[in-house]
Amino acid sequence: MSVVSARGVGKVFGRGEDQVEALRGIDLTIEPGEFISLIGPSGCGKSTLLRLIGDLTTPTSGELLINGKQPATARTDRDYGIVFQKATLLDWRTVQKNVELPLEIMGVEDRTGATRMLDLVQLGDFAGLYPWQLSGGMQQRVAIARALTFNPSLLLMDEPFGALDEMTREQMQQEVLRIWTETGTTVVFVTHSIPEAVFLSTRVVVLSPRPGRISGLIEVGLGHPRDEDTRESADYYDKVTEVREALRHQENGG
Amino acid sequence: MGRWERLGPRARQTISVIGVVLALIAVWETYKLIWSSLGWIRPVRPDDVVMPHVWDMVIELFRPVRRGGSLLIVDLFGRSLWTLREAIAGFLVGGLIGFGLGVWFVRSRLAERAFMPYVVASQTVPILAIAPMVVVWGGSVGLSQWMAVSVIAAYLTFFPVAINTLRGLRSPDPNSLELMRSYAAAPNDVLWKLQVPSALPYIFTALKVSATAAVVGALIGELPAGFQHGLGRALLTFSSQFAVQSKKLYATVIVCAAVGILFVGLISFAERRLVPQRGAKE
Repeated sequence: MSVVSARGVGKVFGRGEDQVEALRGIDLTIEPGEFISLIGPSGCGKSTLLRLIGDLTTPTSGELLINGKQPATARTDRDYGIVFQKATLLDWRTVQKNVELPLEIMGVEDRTGATRMLDLVQLGDFAGLYPWQLSGGMQQRVAIARALTFNPSLLLMDEPFGALDEMTREQMQQEVLRIWTETGTTVVFVTHSIPEAVFLSTRVVVLSPRPGRISGLIEVGLGHPRDEDTRESADYYDKVTEVREALRHQENGG
Repeated sequence: MGRWERLGPRARQTISVIGVVLALIAVWETYKLIWSSLGWIRPVRPDDVVMPHVWDMVIELFRPVRRGGSLLIVDLFGRSLWTLREAIAGFLVGGLIGFGLGVWFVRSRLAERAFMPYVVASQTVPILAIAPMVVVWGGSVGLSQWMAVSVIAAYLTFFPVAINTLRGLRSPDPNSLELMRSYAAAPNDVLWKLQVPSALPYIFTALKVSATAAVVGALIGELPAGFQHGLGRALLTFSSQFAVQSKKLYATVIVCAAVGILFVGLISFAERRLVPQRGAKE
């Protein structure tokens, strides 16, 4: 069964004169274990699509199923782990307590999942610290650990590395690939960075604006594991060029 | 590092506070000295009735209230306890009502729209005008008189707490609320695990404002009350005898201020205990 199945999904904000069509006719199927990037210029609705999948907003047309269920059902079944651009950790809780928060809310007595996830993001030694004592990259790793503690089948990431410097960003990409390989979680990743999308993904979904629609689907096919050498390979450059051209094409009304 | 920095933060604070008090006393006494030697009487007449020496006010505290009576400071201490009881009871009740209103309003836009105007309007009513009514009504529903006074203190307390609680409960980042949504968290979990902890700094700011307001409310509430207890009653008595007893009035005002400061101090202490201090480790 597909993790995400969208048929003719559209989203219109507002009413009457002020109406804005954010997305139109989205057809997209995401299979278990895929790493999908949504890329496009600002205003193309890539974040809106992610939010539709995560039931943070509802579609105004079309059919959207998550693991064969309505998004709202998938949410109450706790199928989603979400990571935003801001880590949004709770200042008054230690790193450990922040990662335990979802388990606490879900009434899970066994908290070993939190410890295991902190080890997975290599922050086991920092469990007792408070969020403001960590660097931006470390905070984001805590946010990823928190999103994964309850083993969601789908990890949604909305420009998670947008606020990080370039070097930290590349480390984090490596980290996310490693976590993805170890957990087998399906990932939907919103970004506006072409190299990031190509390096991370199994498939790149190219969106074009006004209204947002899918203008290209690119199989990356670079094989795994990917590392620093991948970034310098000819295949990688070819794919970056392919995505860049797909994005440029739409500007010329293509 | 200079000598000043080598003192602990506590010591520095204490020295600053004492320094300000000494400076204020110096201004008072300097004014009195210059104006009386030059014979000026404006804006304030510098004689010993209108502007007694600060040390005379303090000495007055250690004189009997009346011939053969207890010392003024002993009398005022007993009255302070009475007034503090009214203020604290009113503060607790008003604080809880304010918190409850904040929670109710954050959960229901309709309730906020319907009742917020009245909450605001309640504070524009002159407290001096309604205090006698509250005391009379309180008596008729069987409240003892000090409790009726507490109602006035509660009336002044609940407003800042309600406004700031509401603001604090709305302060979490929208993404934090969306994360809660993605965990399918129950409304009570969102309230107690996210909104209330985020609101604590706001609530404590309100509690400090309210602590002084509760003391003022208790003092004002005592004016129309029939009993002879409390600092408010002492203020009333001594101000009616201002021409002969001005030092007693000033001494009482100093004690009232001390009571307010003590109350705010207690709240600050609780705040340091309950609200994690960001960067406290330095």
